[in-house]
Amino acid sequence: MSTATLAAGAAQIVGGILLAPLLPGLVQHWKARLQGRRGPSPLQPYRELRRLWGKSVVTVEGASIVYRLAPAVVAASIAAAVLLVPAAALAPNWGVGHDLLALAGFLALARFAVAVASWDVSNGFSLMGASRDLTLAVFVEVTLVLSVAIAALVAGTTDLPNVIAGTAGTAVWSSPALALGAVAFALVVLAETGRQPIDNPDTHLELTMIHEGPLLEYAGRDLAYLQWASAARHWIVLVIGAQVFLPHAQGVWWQLALLPLVLVALCAGLALTETLVAKMRVLLVPRLLAVGAVVALLGIATWLVGTV
Amino acid sequence: MTGTILVAGLAAVGLGGALCAARRTFAPGLAVQSAGAALVAVGGFWALAAGDVLGAPFTSSFVPRLGVDGLTAFFLGTLGLIAAPALVYSIRYLEPDAKGRAVAALTACFVLALALVVCARDPLTFLLGWELMTILSAAVILVARAGGADARRTVFTYASITHLAGAATWISILLLAERGSIGGTQALSTGSGLQIAIALTALIGMGAKAGLMPLHVWLPRTHPIAPAPVSALMSGVMIKVAIYGLVRVLVDWVGVLPSWFGVLVLGLGALSAVGGVLYAIFQHDLKRLLALHSIENVGIIVLGLGACLVLRARGADTWAAFALGAALLHTLNHAVFKSLLFLGAGAFEKAVGSLELDRLGGLLRRMPWTGGAFFVGSMAIAGLPPLNGFSSEWLTLQSLLHVSAYGNLGDGMAGAVALAALGATVGLAVFCFVKVVGLVLLGRPRRDAVAAAPEAPRLMWGAIVFLALACVALGLAPGLLFGLLAGLAPWPAAAPTHVGLRLAGTGSLPTLGIALVLTGLSGSLVLLRGRRSAAPAPTWVSGQLVESRLNWTSAGFTKPLRLVLEAVLRPQREITVRTEGGVVQEVTYRGNVPQLIDDRVYRPAIRAALGGATHARRLQSGSLGMYVVYLIGLVVVLLAAARFGLIG
Repeated sequence: MSTATLAAGAAQIVGGILLAPLLPGLVQHWKARLQGRRGPSPLQPYRELRRLWGKSVVTVEGASIVYRLAPAVVAASIAAAVLLVPAAALAPNWGVGHDLLALAGFLALARFAVAVASWDVSNGFSLMGASRDLTLAVFVEVTLVLSVAIAALVAGTTDLPNVIAGTAGTAVWSSPALALGAVAFALVVLAETGRQPIDNPDTHLELTMIHEGPLLEYAGRDLAYLQWASAARHWIVLVIGAQVFLPHAQGVWWQLALLPLVLVALCAGLALTETLVAKMRVLLVPRLLAVGAVVALLGIATWLVGTV
Repeated sequence: MTGTILVAGLAAVGLGGALCAARRTFAPGLAVQSAGAALVAVGGFWALAAGDVLGAPFTSSFVPRLGVDGLTAFFLGTLGLIAAPALVYSIRYLEPDAKGRAVAALTACFVLALALVVCARDPLTFLLGWELMTILSAAVILVARAGGADARRTVFTYASITHLAGAATWISILLLAERGSIGGTQALSTGSGLQIAIALTALIGMGAKAGLMPLHVWLPRTHPIAPAPVSALMSGVMIKVAIYGLVRVLVDWVGVLPSWFGVLVLGLGALSAVGGVLYAIFQHDLKRLLALHSIENVGIIVLGLGACLVLRARGADTWAAFALGAALLHTLNHAVFKSLLFLGAGAFEKAVGSLELDRLGGLLRRMPWTGGAFFVGSMAIAGLPPLNGFSSEWLTLQSLLHVSAYGNLGDGMAGAVALAALGATVGLAVFCFVKVVGLVLLGRPRRDAVAAAPEAPRLMWGAIVFLALACVALGLAPGLLFGLLAGLAPWPAAAPTHVGLRLAGTGSLPTLGIALVLTGLSGSLVLLRGRRSAAPAPTWVSGQLVESRLNWTSAGFTKPLRLVLEAVLRPQREITVRTEGGVVQEVTYRGNVPQLIDDRVYRPAIRAALGGATHARRLQSGSLGMYVVYLIGLVVVLLAAARFGLIG
């Protein structure tokens, strides 16, 4: 294994597992600044995780093993997704492969575990969030599959390190396919990270919750797992956005060096959209995501026109 | 060797069926049948692995011939793998009374008819088996339902649709036989009228039998009313035998089809996949929901088949073989988890009575073995890693992506739309099975019978747990089978054999590694969390009391989706509020998502047909003089036609 592979693997683990909570922290921090508030420090998610880790979990009366296992399964499947997404065009083999289409399976497993747990505790507010989340997930999945299909077509493979290598440099940007894919994938990023206009991460009103709703019953270390998973989702989709859809450098070392800067910029972008855009009505979100799917289809059409 | 095993297995199934007819030997008879089915499974998969070709080759003559090749061996293996647990389950599920004995004996005949179709090597035997398969399953339902009016009506719908469409199967097979192309010996030229006619009629006739939309209407009606083991065989195997027919005709026998035909198949697959799961979500009865899910999964299989046809037309032989392998692998996977779910539903029905989804709940605790296996099956059908549905759906997604990669603009866009459809299908399937698991297995029991449900008898849950283990095993090592299945393509294509799925041009799916990472990480996270926990607290619902009447229902959970897709689904609802002196006394709610194809296509067609029949009946006046006039008229018309050289 070369040094570059080792460095990329280390970046993947350190970034995806340890530094992931920094990303939502940065978004919250800048969002507050943009809105003229002082806001929490970017390290706030770590403080919350530490606080939750010291607290005991709450058992819900009548809940079965499904409720107790769900947070661990969510964290494990998101961790597996972190292992799947390389930080650069090289990555060690962690045993889960690096397939772009397989990613959807891990995200679905996490969603399934959370939604099933809310049935287990029969909490109406959790179920409301879960049913909205699953409804949106149908459209997110379509947009995700189509936008990653563009990247796969451009690169000629679905193997993520090769996709990153295949979409690197400026030559591939001569066709608009990747740009259209980037637009579609941006909507996936908003949906997977639960950001406005799709979901409001700051809401405290149960009736408006989507991603937060199913977590209502959890406390202590269980909640810590779930919050970490939500932060790691930021890492997964933002890294794909940065290293696949946005223009990125050719060499592995350059990719690794530029990644933090791009991620910080993307977090600033998320903070900006959160400030500028209001939350949509939940029933209108599928239309927005459907627009993303159509844009991605157009992207595939432009790629086909360009090659045939 | 494999031939002996297969013959012994099928003979044992027949013998067991005969034994079932007597009361004293009922249970041993089913056991013998099941052992026979197990032998068929062993023989089938062994023959597939060894590449054995047994018995006669294909012939276009009408001399009865039987034989086994790779594809037949695979379907025989699938048949045995599903029939063996379903028959063990029947030992406790069926009562040894007259009805149960008749069902058991007919089940043996049904299994043999299914085997006959896949072993047939001449057109006559094939069509005989094809018709027997329909008639026997209809007979089992009529016997089991003791000829109730509803059952008779449903079976009539089933028989009429499969027979009307079955005419297309006959046309297709007889055209092939007439051309001497059975067995693919005489290649048909690409795009010729004859080739298209054969392929289209096969798609209609066999597609109807497989439950492909829009010819699916019989399926969600028929499968739920059959006894659970027969439902498992029908959903698990019978509709797969129709897939066998499609693969034989479209892939093996008619030569290379033009790519637009593949696009048509993709379109039908996408329609069935999305339509099937979309209507399944809004069902309130478990077995009906499962039956609609069969349509979805047939859609996914047909998507793989369509991808195979397009890729073959484009000359991408390697990926065409992979797409075929994906379709066949999903065939087996669906057979396993769908029969698991049907057997599980049967066990729940036996324990608690009705299967209305809103009146179950908490069965995981009451029936841990059945419930646990049902949970595994639900995860598998939802396509979640590390179970078997995930790997075959991933393979199908990859095949569709390669349709885009190899196609021209038209094919490529069709591939992309099919990719989107499969993405939506997977998302909807997760939604649907979250609902099923939540309403059936989790939460609190919603009526007294459910709260007191006993665990199913050991033979019943044993059969279900066996199928759950098969889901896990196929999920861990799909690659071993996938290599063999992709190798069944009649064109040379190199298929890799790894435990996982390692294909060039993909990031590969190391299924074993994924399973290890997922279970290892989950397990260590559970250990890391420790056992410390506060005293149990009730569910927190913003300070309200947790009451059973506040339980969420199936309709409530699916409401966001129903509203989002209102324009497509046209849901109906009816709310009546009775007030007395301004105080609400009673609120009733009725909601329904109508099946648009039934309402918009079949109803008008039936009405038109009945109207036409009324008019045609006027011709049948019953008076002899009138008939003589008809005869004379016919003779005059024929003479005139002959005179002007139109005939003769």
